[in-house]
Amino acid sequence: MEIIAILLGGVLINNLVFAQFLGLCPFVGVSKNVEMATGMSAAVLFVMTMAAGVTALLHSLVLDPYGLTYLETVTFILVISSLVQFVETFLRKASPVLHRSLGIYLPLITTNCAVMGAALISVRQGYGVGLSAVNGFAGALGWSLAIILFAGIRERLELASVPEALKGIPVALVTTGLMAIAFLGFQGLFRFLF
Amino acid sequence: MTDYKFVVGSSPHLRTSENTPRLMFYVLQALFLVAVASTILFGVRAMAIIGVSVLAALAAEALWQKGLRQPVTVADGSAAITGLLIAFNMPPLVPLWVPALGSAFAVIVVKQFFGGLGHNFMNPAAAGRAFLVSAWPLAMTSGWLTPFDGATSATPLQVLGGSSGSLPEGWQMLMGWRAGCIGETSALVILIGGLYLIYRQVIDWKIPASFIGTVALFAWVFGGTDGWFTGDVLTHVLSGGLLLGAFFMATDYVTSPVTKRGRLIMGLGCGLLTALIRLWGGYPEGVTYAILLMNVATPLIDRMTIPRPFGTRQTKVTG
Amino acid sequence: MNLWRILTNGVVKENPVFRLLLGLCPLLAVTTALMNGFWMGVAVIFVLTSSNIIVSMLRKVIAPRIRIPCFIVIIATFVTIVQMTMNAYLPDMYEILGIFVPLIVVNCVILARAEAFASKNPVVSAAVDGIGMGLGFTIALMVLGGVREFFGTANLVINGQPLFDAPLFEPALIMIMPPGAFITMGVLLALLNVMVNRGRSGAGA
Repeated sequence: MEIIAILLGGVLINNLVFAQFLGLCPFVGVSKNVEMATGMSAAVLFVMTMAAGVTALLHSLVLDPYGLTYLETVTFILVISSLVQFVETFLRKASPVLHRSLGIYLPLITTNCAVMGAALISVRQGYGVGLSAVNGFAGALGWSLAIILFAGIRERLELASVPEALKGIPVALVTTGLMAIAFLGFQGLFRFLF
Repeated sequence: MTDYKFVVGSSPHLRTSENTPRLMFYVLQALFLVAVASTILFGVRAMAIIGVSVLAALAAEALWQKGLRQPVTVADGSAAITGLLIAFNMPPLVPLWVPALGSAFAVIVVKQFFGGLGHNFMNPAAAGRAFLVSAWPLAMTSGWLTPFDGATSATPLQVLGGSSGSLPEGWQMLMGWRAGCIGETSALVILIGGLYLIYRQVIDWKIPASFIGTVALFAWVFGGTDGWFTGDVLTHVLSGGLLLGAFFMATDYVTSPVTKRGRLIMGLGCGLLTALIRLWGGYPEGVTYAILLMNVATPLIDRMTIPRPFGTRQTKVTG
Repeated sequence: MNLWRILTNGVVKENPVFRLLLGLCPLLAVTTALMNGFWMGVAVIFVLTSSNIIVSMLRKVIAPRIRIPCFIVIIATFVTIVQMTMNAYLPDMYEILGIFVPLIVVNCVILARAEAFASKNPVVSAAVDGIGMGLGFTIALMVLGGVREFFGTANLVINGQPLFDAPLFEPALIMIMPPGAFITMGVLLALLNVMVNRGRSGAGA
């Protein structure tokens, strides 16, 4: 039941983009077309699930028992950046096909605050390793949903005669804001689960 | 470098002799019926709300276009439609500045920011209402009256959700004799207006039919208090903004899919989300949010349902 | 380079938020009020200036190939210092800013300045650049926070003291909710574009 609650919460209610403001740089940067958004989403799904799991493991095995939680920020960012490196190398050797499609997106992920954010949220919620991974996955799923929908709209905006001053980022932000209004409809959904 | 672009007129791209102002005129005719009904039911207040809202929408459009030195297109009727729909979504006792701000937001932020009619990706009226609900929740979710006698009362959906009060009879709901937003209650008139638009081929029957059908199905299966298949279908279909939304907001050309299959998906999705929010969500009514969410998904639905020309390779669509 | 030019560069010409669009996440997330923006800005100024100084001091020592991980460790260290200090002296604000304090570590402004400026310039210029960029970021945070707080609560709270006795009008709650953040930021950027274009055409004429 808790897994369902985390998944629903992460995708619809506490969406990383529309409710938590995480991962906005790639959200705006890599959303010019649906293919790119999909590629980035796959990479984020992969890395975020792993990062949330690994950091939770580190937290519960090392940082917490030895009273080192003040090193959280330093260790988490190191773990995440090495994880991205590792995933990149591993994919290149193990699955060149996957690497070709995800490769260019992977280096972009280190600066994606959503990955670090999901890890920090999991730890602060007190999730164990398994639930943290689920939380990372749910967050990534919500982020992917957001960026793919957004990319669809942005493709259409290419043809729109947006006023000069609003072209580019301003109208992208207004679009995100209007999407966030629509996502407010999910507020309070399935309250009995939470 | 000359920026050579293919110039495309604003949608709807229809191959008929009808043009946009003509279609808008039919919509205005249908909405006028609803406006008359709401004035009969809720009296002078309804008239004031409608007047303020429409004027604000027209003024916002004219001022924006004047300010940007664009041709003023107030006469195409789309701003008036937005204003009317926003007014119809107001509770009878709403302060008058609320619909005015809602109309201004809908016309400027939701429509003109994106380049005006045909370029917006969300239905302006629906987005305007959702904006108002979040901005001034108290003004938008209280102040309900029963028609004629002017007594404060809970709406049928609030009663279904557990508020104290009694549900009106079926015929009362059909005639609009129930508490609710000023333009959403008169089910029969909305139905007549909607059928008129379908007859005039202004809107496609697929979206309202699949929208209302899905809500009815879900309400019947999951909406009951004593087990499955005991839901009160009639109340769910006739109450809230379902009919108004299904006929007049979900069918907006610009923000709904262009293909037949896409329109069925649109209606189905709207129905599903409406039922989800009504039955298990945090708001008593989900029609607006359902329409907005499906507006957001419309470009992807179009992508997936536009048939590919014979002999071309299938474009890869994942996710 | 002239130090004054470096300082104003970060505030105006290359304002990290309004011109370069870096660090959007904390910008939108914490700006529900003016003071939140102020303290977030102070934290960023501290981290940015300190990390710029250290990166600049070590610029001849760090091997180019491992420079990014080194920068990250340096930044993370200062972020941890900020976390502890805020937790000790401003616990309420630390609570409000939440995960966005540790997330300063992935704020692209800071890594970008370490990489693009501090690793190539002497210590004093690097420090001034950090202050300038940090100030630019803080101003953006405070403008957005101020606008959102004013319309979202119809009041402004400065140092725990409300500026007006009663709300000035019926507050638009949506302004302090996520949609308000995105739309306000979009509108602010558009207004800025209008101003810049006006200035440009004025200068050209």
